[in-house]
Amino acid sequence: MSDAHSPSETDHNGEAQKYHAFINLALALAAITGVELVLVYLPINQAVIFTVLIALSLFKFISVIAWFMHLIYDRLLLTLAFGTGLVIATGTVIALMFILDRSYVDFEAITAF
Amino acid sequence: MSDDAHNNDDGHHSLMVNNKKLLMWLFLGSDCMFFGTMISTHLIYRKLYPESYDPTSLFSLELTSFSTFILLMSSFLMALAVSAMHKGDIKSFRRNTIGVIFFGLIFLGCQVYEFTEFVHAGLTLSSGTFGSTFYMLTGTHGVHVAIGVFWLICMYFYSFTGKMDAHQSAVDVEIAGLYWHFVDIVWIIIFTAIYLIEFI
Repeated sequence: MSDAHSPSETDHNGEAQKYHAFINLALALAAITGVELVLVYLPINQAVIFTVLIALSLFKFISVIAWFMHLIYDRLLLTLAFGTGLVIATGTVIALMFILDRSYVDFEAITAF
Repeated sequence: MSDDAHNNDDGHHSLMVNNKKLLMWLFLGSDCMFFGTMISTHLIYRKLYPESYDPTSLFSLELTSFSTFILLMSSFLMALAVSAMHKGDIKSFRRNTIGVIFFGLIFLGCQVYEFTEFVHAGLTLSSGTFGSTFYMLTGTHGVHVAIGVFWLICMYFYSFTGKMDAHQSAVDVEIAGLYWHFVDIVWIIIFTAIYLIEFI
């Protein structure tokens, strides 16, 4: 018998691997959501909790895109198509958060308007 | 028939990427910008007027975490539905799709319950900047979920017509799946940025 696998056998192994990856990811996502819920009630430094929450949220976000949305199995062009919008959106959020800081905004002008 | 022409008939362009799939990814990229602006609007108003409203007494983190869990599990089932369609297993596709629809409806039910509670507590669309931006953001997301549920219901019933084949329909199911997963990732951000951060 040769060591080479037939295409259908390779496909079947690939699908089985994906299935296990999906189950592991679903369990991890559920566990992370539970951790997030507990985390906000813990008496720890606010900055630490904030950083951990952002990190966990990003992990969930990237995991769903990479595995559930098949982006790691797909072509780079699709990553670029989505990534462009995502980068612009993230940049907009960050820029606006910095530009519209409380110390820069003229509240008197807003109320006069 | 040349290879290029054949590829075009098959829904691919010269880069060997399915046109429908590429369009969906581009749409999702643009939808990212749409939600990005709404999330930043909410956060900016929270930053500028932190004293205007304290939602911690109103938000039920347990309910929102449950909604998040439900949506994440629906994403898992959606991934299985797409995988089943690629294998040509229509029965498994239907089983998983019904699961996604069911979870989607639970999520919408939770959101309707939450909104009703908030309105009874005095938080309305016109009660201030917090109400306006909160309902606009979560409401728009809810509309996206409702569209996704409707899309999947149509797909579920279409699978009984006998017109679905593993090769052509797998791409259509995958596109519906992409949309559903996107709705999920937007909620992941909303859950952290709008709900959890209020409690720290």
